[in-house]
Parts: sequence; structure tokens; C-alpha cells
Amino acid sequence: MKNVYWLHCGGCDGDSVSLLNLDKPNLVDIFVDLEINPLYHPSLSIKSHKEQHELLESLQDGTIPLDILVVEGNILKGPASTGMFDLKFGVPKKNILVALSKRAQYIIALGTCASFGGIGVGSETQATGIQFTRKEKGGLLGADYVSGGGLPVINLPGCPCHPEIFTSILAMLNSGIEIELDEYNRPLAWYGMMVHQGCTRNEYHEYRVEENDFGEKGCLFFHLGCHGPLTGGSCNKLLWSKRSSKPRVGVPCFGCNNPDFPQEYPFFDTKNIEGIPIALPNGISRAQYMAYKGMAAAAAPLRLKKRQTRI
Amino acid sequence: MAKISCSFPVNRVEGDLTLQIDFENDTVTQARSVGTLYRGFEKIMRGRGALDGLVITPRICGICSLSHLAAASAALDNLCKTTPPDNALRIKNITGMMEMIQSDIRQSVLMFMPDFVNQAYSSNPLYIEAVKRYSPLRGARCVSAVKNTATIVEIIAILGGQWPHTSFMVPGGVTNIPTIHDIVQCRHLIVRCMKSYEEQILGCSVERFNNISTKQELDEWLSSSQEHSESDMGFLIRFGRSIGLDTIGNSYGNFLSYGAFDIPSDSDVSPRHGREKLIRSGYAEGTNVTEFDQSYIAEAISHSWFNGYEGAKHPFDGMTEPEASGEDGKKYSWVKAPRYNDKPVETGPLAQMVINGIPLFTELIKTEGSSALTRQMARLARPAKLFPKALAWIDEMAKLLGSSQFYIPYGEIKNGRGMGLTDAARGALGHWIIVEDKTIMKYQIITPTAWNGSPRDDAGMPGAWEKALEGIRVADTDNPIEIGHIIRSFDPCLVCAVHRLDSGKKIFIC
Repeated sequence: MKNVYWLHCGGCDGDSVSLLNLDKPNLVDIFVDLEINPLYHPSLSIKSHKEQHELLESLQDGTIPLDILVVEGNILKGPASTGMFDLKFGVPKKNILVALSKRAQYIIALGTCASFGGIGVGSETQATGIQFTRKEKGGLLGADYVSGGGLPVINLPGCPCHPEIFTSILAMLNSGIEIELDEYNRPLAWYGMMVHQGCTRNEYHEYRVEENDFGEKGCLFFHLGCHGPLTGGSCNKLLWSKRSSKPRVGVPCFGCNNPDFPQEYPFFDTKNIEGIPIALPNGISRAQYMAYKGMAAAAAPLRLKKRQTRI
Repeated sequence: MAKISCSFPVNRVEGDLTLQIDFENDTVTQARSVGTLYRGFEKIMRGRGALDGLVITPRICGICSLSHLAAASAALDNLCKTTPPDNALRIKNITGMMEMIQSDIRQSVLMFMPDFVNQAYSSNPLYIEAVKRYSPLRGARCVSAVKNTATIVEIIAILGGQWPHTSFMVPGGVTNIPTIHDIVQCRHLIVRCMKSYEEQILGCSVERFNNISTKQELDEWLSSSQEHSESDMGFLIRFGRSIGLDTIGNSYGNFLSYGAFDIPSDSDVSPRHGREKLIRSGYAEGTNVTEFDQSYIAEAISHSWFNGYEGAKHPFDGMTEPEASGEDGKKYSWVKAPRYNDKPVETGPLAQMVINGIPLFTELIKTEGSSALTRQMARLARPAKLFPKALAWIDEMAKLLGSSQFYIPYGEIKNGRGMGLTDAARGALGHWIIVEDKTIMKYQIITPTAWNGSPRDDAGMPGAWEKALEGIRVADTDNPIEIGHIIRSFDPCLVCAVHRLDSGKKIFIC
């Protein structure tokens, strides 16, 4: 049995709610199969406040082993670095997290807020991620932190994190399978591909048939602010509820797996020079990209230009 | 006479909530509702792009994300003077109803009913059955609810890309152009989910349950078949009555709904009283319903940790300036105190039932008041009202798909103001936006939990659930289960009460 303890910090609970969307196998099946012992989850447990308090003390003094600590939501250091914006039992949650980090075998940052700070970084709440503040290493626990099991905080960004990524990581930790992480401590197995891959609008993208407004079939990258080609993630491979994704239904990818989500400039808009986005897919030369896109647009078949091909 | 004060953290609500309770002997004399988190969304919105509410505000709440999107897009429609085409309304309505239904079932079965497993009831004759059914993540009904609600969410994923946190509703309509495959799949899933709801939650068809119009008919329904009494609804009523949930939890009896789900102009799903929404808006004192007037909405901050004004202000004139000082003991919450025509109100499924004149709940309000049991029954009964309409709209969409529009260009966002009012799963939700030069100058949000979990106002009037706790007897302050029932019957969503911040006072845990 692996003990798992959930700590909800300054978030929306969306990552937990998303776990309930798992199907075949669902969350209950997975906990049973992996012999996960959920010690406490704020939305599901029936422990009284007295029992919760005793559990937290036993975890902090090591009487009960803490195999996996799951943290959801950002860490609020404000106001004036006191942490008083977010308390549990009258104690700043940031202090509880520091105490538990000394006992945890592994820490999972579930969602972008816990990973990188997400919504609220730079505001009066002094929001941060556990081991990163946006792209900068450090966060609450510091750049050098490693948990008892020898890993840094495992970042599973996404707003919310895709639930299958979380349960796969649980399974890997359970069986001692090595987890390969990228520079932002995200597992490469899911964040080492682009969100763009698998989008049903890709044929439109290929021939530079780009939309200026909502409600059409073409690509959203050039004008509507889609971050699909710029964002590591597997949304269009795993799909949500195994059914679809935002770009497939005409909603641009907002790059929510990225450390700098949410962007500071307006959504639904692509910054561009002469109609070509400023931010290009990683590793592409601007001159070559312009030549390639010019030729692609010239080669575009009429069926795409007329938006006849379905997506 | 022993007077003590205790603070109870409440779990199994969305987010964190602490209640400061004053007791005389074992009876609650005063309750104060204190959030323990401040996220500052309204300030984060200032200076952002005009459309950014469509991306940022759904992320206020993981359980009613789509309702925030609906309110944000309605506020922009109001500002741009655009009306979404009929099939866009159908998509918005179907997805919105599915969000409500998953929330109603998950909250009831995974959050409210697990209280029946509490040690305090170990000698109750129904206890062993309760443990078998509602133990967290193990009870048979909890497992069914996890399974069935995941299927409901698939419908939103097909039409809106994912759930939670999508942004497919925009001013002028929706971004999606569903195919006939999408529509047929949604129909399969709606039928399947409705059947599961009928089998597990009601133990009968939705028509049969919707036909119950009096308390006597409810009792007849309960005793007339094993399927009825062993359903989740049946068990809620039986266990709830056995522990007196029908006698506690009364608040003021003031109810508010902004209404929800605009009826498409070409739809056969017609409003019964010439109204424009499937769930009508209104305000009720007891069962006396009056027309809703948004100009009556105002927020007071006399007991909240904000500064900048006295009295109460309409959200267009309101301000959100946190004030982390003032230790005079008067201010205790970072939830503002919204009032309707100066009155504290409750909002949610029960308010909708009363305002829409649903006979069973109208009678229950008249005879028992707004008890914790009636409030929770209204929540669990709401899907029975919504499923048939969702099915009718998906069928209409299948027929009209070839010729239909889903989006009408809104042009440019001009300077101005807009409001988006809807009912989320937990009740009245409003967004108010002021835009200048394509930039958000002001964004104010009043969530359902701000209404239900409001602190006191300038007149010292407690909020709805603060009031509902007064006079309650608590047998064991180490295990204040009575308080848990009442608070959870309001289905609190504290991640949503976007203003909140802890008072910073020393908290004494009993």
C-alpha cells in the first residue's frame, strides 16, 4: 500500500475534479489496482477536523510514512511573505508544505499552478509553484530540493492536468519505473511532443489556410493565438474524456502546459510580423519558415480554401 | 451557562471554509463564515484583453467552470449587443445542463451522503447500509456515481473540447461546428446517463418522479416500491428524516435565481409562461415570487476585509480593494456581502424550484421551510427536470444541423459595459465587465457561494448559511456533524468565492 496525501493550496480544485472524469479504468479502479491508500483528500474524505489534524501531525513527525504528496493549486506567499492568504488549521499552507516535503518520498505538483505558480504570479498574493516560479527555478522549496526518493518535484502541468498523466505517474512510482524529466521537470513521455500533433485542423495548417475569426474549420495558429505548435503536451493524442480537445472544436490552445501560462498579452490574438507569427515552432529559421509557408499557401487545394474538407 | 467559541474547518466542500461558532451550552448562538484563501481574480483581470475573461474566469472554479464561461460570454454579448444563433444556444444549454447534472450527482453522492457514514450514526438502523453505499471511494453508490458522471462529462468534451476549463463560448455564439457524428454520440450518451440516473438515483422514470406534486404523493412514492426506497433519493429521504434533517437548516426563506438556458427562437421546448429562459429568473420570499430586477443587486463590505466605500454598491460601481488591517473585530471575511433589495438571500436548486413554482417543493417550503433535507432533495431532483429538455434539444439540433449557424461575427469589442447573469449549479452567478480601448477596466464577479456564504452586512444581518446555523444543537463539538449537514446542503464552493481571504485572527480549533 502506498500512502498518498493531498494538499490543496490556492487553486480551483479542477485537477481533482478532472480525476473524477477518468473512465475505463476510473479513479476507484486505479486506486484499488495500484494499492493506493488515499490518506486524505479534501473533497472526498470523511475525516473530522480532529482526525485531519492528528493525521497531519503524524505525517509531519514521521509516525505515518508519506509515500506520495500530491499538491494542487499555487502556493500563496502573501501578504508580505507571511502566507496568511492561505491557511490550514491556522497555519500557512506553505509552512505545512515545507514540513511535509522533508518526509515525502515523492512530490507531485498536479497542474500548472502547483508546478509554476500559474494564475496569480506577480500579484499581491505572491503566488509561486513548488519548485519553479514560472520559468525560474526555486519556487517555495528551492532549486536544489530532492524528495526522499531522490527526485525533484515532479511537475505535471496543464490547466487542468490530463488525468491519465497523473495516474500513469502514480503507476510508475509504484513500480519503480524511471521517469525522464525535461528542463522544467515535466515527464518527457507526455510533454515531449507538441499539442499541435493530432489536431484535426492539421491539413488546414499544412497549407496555411488560417482563420481570422471564430466558427470556421481552418487553423488557429496565425491569427487566433493558438499555442498548439509552441507547447509541449499530448492533449490531441490522449484527448479529453477520450473524445476531443479545445483546438478540435475551434478553441485555440492557450499553452497552459507552459511555465509562463497565463500569458500577459491578450488571448485569441497572435503577435505577428507581415502576417507570420513572431513565435515560431522550436528550432525553425524564420526565412525558411516564410518560404515554406508561402509555397504551402500557393499549393493549397481549393477544397481547403473553400473550407469544404471536414475536420 | 457555558459559553464557548470554536472554529471548524469544513472539508468535502470545494475549497476551504472555516466556521467560527459561538455556543451557549450545546446550542449555536452565532455563526461566522470565514474563507481561508484569497486569490484576487478581479484584480488580475484589470488591464487584460477584453476577451480574456473567457480564458481566465472559467479557471476560478474546477466544478462550475462552464458557468463562469457562460457568464463571461453573456457579459460580452451584452456589451457587443450580439445574440448567439439558435443552435449555439442549444450547444450552450446542453453543455451547461450536463455541468449542472454532474455537479448535482457528485455533490450529493460523493460529498453530502458520506456524512451518513459518520460515527455519530453508528447506532442508526440504516447505518450499515449507509456504510455499504456511501463510504468514500468504496461505497457501491459512490463507485456508480464516479462511473456515471464521467460519462456525463464526455458530452461536454464532444461539444466543447474538454471539461473543466474550456473556452468555446464566445460573443456571437460558439466556436464549434459539430458534425452529425458528434450529435448522434451526444444523444447516445444523454440517453445512457438519463437511464443511469433513473435506475440509481430515482429508482423510477423521470416522468414518474416529476409527477410527484405533494408531500403525500412523495410518501406514497417512497413506500410504493423497493426500487424507490432503495434509490439514492429514497435513501436520502429515509436517512435524512431519521436524523431530523427535515427539521434543521432553515434560513430566511428568501430565494434568488437569475434563470438559465435561453430558449432558441425555433424550438419546440417552449417556456410555460412566455418566458425566455428554461429556468426562469425571480425572487421569492417564502413561496411569494416576484420578477427579478438586477438593479437590486448590491454588495456591502462592512464586515469584509475591503475598503473604499460604505453601504452597498451595485457591481458596476463596486470596488475590490483588499484591506489587510482593521483588527477591530468587526471584519471577519474576505467574501463581500451581496444583498438583493437589501436582503440576504439563498440561491441554488431549491431557489429555482420555488421560483419556477414546482408544486412539490412549493408545498415543502410552505410546510417545512427550507430545511437541509428539502434543499438537498431539490439538488438531487434537478436532473429529472433537465434531462428531457437536453434530449429534445439534441434531437432538434440533429434535424437542423445542415442549415444552421453556430457563430455570428461580433466585429470589434467597443467601449462599454456588459453584464452576464446565469444560474450555475450552485445558483446565481454574475459577471460585470467594463471595457475601454479593448482593455478590461473593471471586472466584478458575484458567485453563488458569495450569496449563500455571505458575512454580515451594514445592518448586522448574517448571510444565508450563517442564519441557518443559528439555534442548532451540536451533540459533540469534536464531531459537529449537524453543522456539516447544513453547510453541505448549500453545496458551498469556496474556490469560487473569489474575494476571500482569512481574517488572520488567531483560530482556536476545538
